[in-house]
Amino acid sequence: MTKEIEEKILSLKGKFPKVKTAILPAFHILYQESGYLDPEGMEKISELLEIPLMEVYEVASFYTYFPSEKTGKYIIRVCDNLSCLLSGAEKLIGYLEEKLKIKVGQMTPDGLFTLSTVECLGSCGTAPVMMVNEDYYENLTREKIDQILEKLSKK
Amino acid sequence: MSKPNDTFTVNIDGQILLASKGLTILQVAEENHIYIPTLCAHKDLTPFGGCRMCIVEVEGMRGFPTACTTPVEEGMIIRTDTAQIQKVRMEILQLILSEHTSSCLICEEKEECREFQGTIRKVGVTTGCRYCSKDGQCELQEVVEKLRLRQINYPIYYRHLRVEKDDPFYDRDYNLCILCGRCIRVCQEIRTANTLTFKQRGCYTVIGPAYDRSHLDAGCEFCGACVSVCPTGALSEKTNKWEGEIEQKTTTTCPLCSIGCQIGLLLKGGKVIGTLPAEDPLVNNGQLCVKGRFCITELVNNFHRLKKPYRTHDGIKVEISWQEAIKLAAEKISACPAEDFGLLISPNCSNEDLYIAQKFTRAAIGSHQIDTSARVFYGAGFNAYLDLMKMSASLSDIKNASLVLCIGLDTRFGRSVIGVEIRKALKKGARLFTIHPREHNLALIAEKWLQPVPGTEVDILNTLVNLSEEKRKAAPPAKSKWRIKSYEDELSGLVEMLKKAYSPIILLGSEFLQYKESPQIYEAVRKLTQKVKAKVLPLPPQNNLFGSILSGSYPELLPGGFSSTEEQRLKYLSKKWGKNLPAFSSGWNAEKLLAGTKLKVLYLIGEVPTGFRPPADFIIFQNIYPPAPFFEADLVLPSAAFTEVEGTYINSEGRIQRVRKGVEPPGEALPDWEILCRIAQEMGRKGFEFSNPCEIREELSNLIKGFDEREIDERKINPLICEGKFVVSRSGLPIKKKDAKNFPFLLTASSVEDTYRGFPLSLWVEGAKKLFAEGILEINPEDAQKSGISQDDEVIVTASSFEETWRARISKEQPQGILHARLFPFEKIGPNPHAVRIRKKNA
Repeated sequence: MTKEIEEKILSLKGKFPKVKTAILPAFHILYQESGYLDPEGMEKISELLEIPLMEVYEVASFYTYFPSEKTGKYIIRVCDNLSCLLSGAEKLIGYLEEKLKIKVGQMTPDGLFTLSTVECLGSCGTAPVMMVNEDYYENLTREKIDQILEKLSKK
Repeated sequence: MSKPNDTFTVNIDGQILLASKGLTILQVAEENHIYIPTLCAHKDLTPFGGCRMCIVEVEGMRGFPTACTTPVEEGMIIRTDTAQIQKVRMEILQLILSEHTSSCLICEEKEECREFQGTIRKVGVTTGCRYCSKDGQCELQEVVEKLRLRQINYPIYYRHLRVEKDDPFYDRDYNLCILCGRCIRVCQEIRTANTLTFKQRGCYTVIGPAYDRSHLDAGCEFCGACVSVCPTGALSEKTNKWEGEIEQKTTTTCPLCSIGCQIGLLLKGGKVIGTLPAEDPLVNNGQLCVKGRFCITELVNNFHRLKKPYRTHDGIKVEISWQEAIKLAAEKISACPAEDFGLLISPNCSNEDLYIAQKFTRAAIGSHQIDTSARVFYGAGFNAYLDLMKMSASLSDIKNASLVLCIGLDTRFGRSVIGVEIRKALKKGARLFTIHPREHNLALIAEKWLQPVPGTEVDILNTLVNLSEEKRKAAPPAKSKWRIKSYEDELSGLVEMLKKAYSPIILLGSEFLQYKESPQIYEAVRKLTQKVKAKVLPLPPQNNLFGSILSGSYPELLPGGFSSTEEQRLKYLSKKWGKNLPAFSSGWNAEKLLAGTKLKVLYLIGEVPTGFRPPADFIIFQNIYPPAPFFEADLVLPSAAFTEVEGTYINSEGRIQRVRKGVEPPGEALPDWEILCRIAQEMGRKGFEFSNPCEIREELSNLIKGFDEREIDERKINPLICEGKFVVSRSGLPIKKKDAKNFPFLLTASSVEDTYRGFPLSLWVEGAKKLFAEGILEINPEDAQKSGISQDDEVIVTASSFEETWRARISKEQPQGILHARLFPFEKIGPNPHAVRIRKKNA
């Protein structure tokens, strides 16, 4: 962890009435820095904010948005809740697995994509839905997925 | 105190009840004996609202609020048991049970099954379902019973979690866990050990330390608080897992360190099956450490306990009767000249035992040659330590302190009750500083951790003293090749804080007790304490060190702390005891024993001073366990352990505490005082006609203040009044400067302090082997790599005065260039630190 990042995390300390509140903002900083919540980084956060490691870990394991392992450049999160499932999300997940040649929870060998499923993304009206990093892709079909992946691979 | 206008009435189930502001609905209901089922609520923990069993209806409030989290308000109308609540509650309970094996809760055969579980068969057959060891002591069972739940309408889901049995002392079966969070809250709120947490979320939630580390690695203190609060069978103690319900409970005093925690002995079938902390606001306040909570059961029940007296003839054990044993002992002692007799008694013994032992030595034999192992433990620093003990503060001063300075104190496994008190003080805004050469549990929470290189701690303390004297002259910084850090700035800051602090307290642990410069260290601590007007509390590892001093168990000390050179007192005692006491001359003592001075008769009560036969013609070994084979004791007498006798201890504060008998001693074992009295009577000596410890206390109360029964029950703190001084030998040789080349490492050694009557706990307690290992050399990973040493290698450590072999344990906690050895209790290599070199064995 660079000095700069450390200072950024330290500066969070005075911002909230309870230091514990600073855990999430600190995670965002760490996430932007290393792309995932690495154990060393979390230990450093616990040290800097003077919060027991186990409390930091508690938050990290609760918020699935923060990956705990190294991820690809693009994290594909496909919703597998009821509305999306009824609209064919299961088949799309299978299609993605086939196309990327990985299983859910894995990363492509080129380090470009990580495939995962996610609980409701709050967009049932446009199901099936997936999220790539911070962008939503709605009313998915196989063709749409082909286009999206092609576009992303070229970037 | 609540003001009158904070008190109002509420209506629960039609009853008009008085309530005060700040209470929850559950608290008011419990006060008035209205039953609301709960699983996650606990009287000592903050409300959690997790189990949803305590839902109630409150008029004007939406839905079903939980009684444990909703504060009462004036005029509230609360209903706890309407048909609708019953229906919802039943549904919630079923949902909880859908992830819990429920054959012991809901089963058509339940009643009959219980009745016939005890069926006599020729082979071991388990009748009934055995998923969980808490059958009959389970809060979940109680709730199911009270709500009369008869069936579960959900499919039962078994989580298939691995039962965790790897850590010592308790097993964890999270398949039985209902996620009430009590263990987490007790770990965070009361113990502040911060080991446990909820991991993951939703249906994947489990309890455990971060990153699936073992409890041992995660900093667990193994205090067992989580096991005590668990409402189900998820957490269970290994030693008494299948023992079932207890029959009786006796409160007594733990003898495993000088805090003197009050413990409840759980008894069943004439056996101690467990221990729990007693609610004692004066001492441990419902808390215990791993030793008191988990080690005692195994310690007193081990099948190796001595049950019959025996003597050895040419290495062959011959069991004899007590009559023969007493006769033999009396014969040998009678035939022995007074100057050739020596008695060594453990400071783990009760005041009554200690008093009788010294009376036996002085009045029955006419010698002052009685001693304890404490002399060897404290060495040259004994007098200085005694001075500190005279200033002992109270344990309750810790939580009220505004600044806590810990010197050589680690509160993870031993003295963890002190750790809880320190954290209470921190919560109130106190500041914590710690001086310790190695990583220790307080370092994580301390504002500043001063880490002296072994040998420089006295410089740090002297600098503190000098700074506090306003001379503003810091001691010259010690020049040493091992120096890691200099602390000049921090020290002056610390002194300023100590001076300004409203109520500072200094706690002295045992790290520096066995250092070459320990006399100067204690002296500096005493001066500092006086200069900054702090309180001080030394926490010796020997539980009844205070009592051994007051009862006169040393050649230099008479009962009551009088000096043995005081002729008037000697005359007084001679008259009292009806025997002319000899004038004091410094003859034999424990140090001389180790130096090899030969005796005719050596009487060891609860002491194992050496690993081999000590120099004496005839050795009487009186203990709860047999000596090692190489020890070759001539006569072995079985004693009773503290759970089997009545008596008193004095803790480090100076509080007299009762030891109460819970069970009968195993076999023919007897209390120490009784054996001594019988030998004295056999020898024809008068003044040993005691039939119980009460009579001994009566005699004691004439000689020592605070010893009559009424005063003991008041449990006041008596300051140590001791006029005697120990004759101490000079400590070991200084490290030669030029040796630094040959001996590139600095070694500190500590002999294991987790002992009872001379034996390390790890010898008799399975779980303690993982926690308190002996014969271990701790080494920094980089040092180990350079020296080609890997984990568990045998390492030969050479110094100018010794060569020893220990097993390596690679530890990041150990600073570079510095080694630490954990010694067996009878292993002595002289005071710390030592300059050494190391090499791998067979390399």
